[in-house]
Amino acid sequence: MMGEDELRSLVGHQFPGGRYRIAHWENWLLTDCTGRAPMPEDLVHPVVLFHAPILGAGTSIAELFRLGEAAGAGSVGLESYDWEYFQPLREDVDYDVGGGIVDAERTTSPTGAIVDRVAFAIELHDGDTLVARVTNRWKFRRGS
Amino acid sequence: MNVHVHDMIPSWTMAVVDAARMKTMAAILRDPYPVHWDRLANQAFGLGGRVINQGPLNLSYVANMLMDWSGPASIRRLTVSFGPPVLDGDHVIAGGRVTAVVDNDGESLAECDVWLERNGEHVVDGTAVVVLDRSR
Repeated sequence: MMGEDELRSLVGHQFPGGRYRIAHWENWLLTDCTGRAPMPEDLVHPVVLFHAPILGAGTSIAELFRLGEAAGAGSVGLESYDWEYFQPLREDVDYDVGGGIVDAERTTSPTGAIVDRVAFAIELHDGDTLVARVTNRWKFRRGS
Repeated sequence: MNVHVHDMIPSWTMAVVDAARMKTMAAILRDPYPVHWDRLANQAFGLGGRVINQGPLNLSYVANMLMDWSGPASIRRLTVSFGPPVLDGDHVIAGGRVTAVVDNDGESLAECDVWLERNGEHVVDGTAVVVLDRSR
């Protein structure tokens, strides 16, 4: 298990950054997974704000697990999301994506169970316009 | 669209959470976490060989409810926390209630409490902000 200092040192880690374009097929399948009919015109389903920021920022779920030193299946869980939409997201637009880790803290329950909470924030821009921002907080269970 | 504080948002139901959709979702997300697609991997967690729905899919049901109510480009903010996992075969219902109606730079916004429930238990809880479409 990583030490508390190592955990705190994650704060400030910046993802490489990059671009992400949401293709029609991707939006169609994503929307179908939600149980909804296809989105009208070229609008993208709001749930795209999970994977488009992560992949667009040049990281991945697997890399985030590595950074948090996930111990295996069942050791990672979702804590919270804060997703802000400043403009509607649309298919076939190249969004500039960047962000990093903004918070990391360790908590110990009365029974001695240790949970590390790690938050990352990522923004999507269309040119100079901020289109969306996500702040996602994950928990890494360390046992006791 | 005439909206008032305490108005209930029409609910949105996912009758049966489907493991096949989780597999497609895992591929789209590039999600290597086997709890979403490998029943055998979940046996160790006492889930009876069921797989765990992705958190984003749980949130998507809330988003679908909001879009059916206020339009497909209406969501301005979703702030949620996640409770117990949702499993394949579960029946879940997204719900919401208006807590405030405010004007912001000429837009009329509704602030809402939102949730996803399974058998009366909330598995997602949070708030949403949506722009109200006066043409609806």
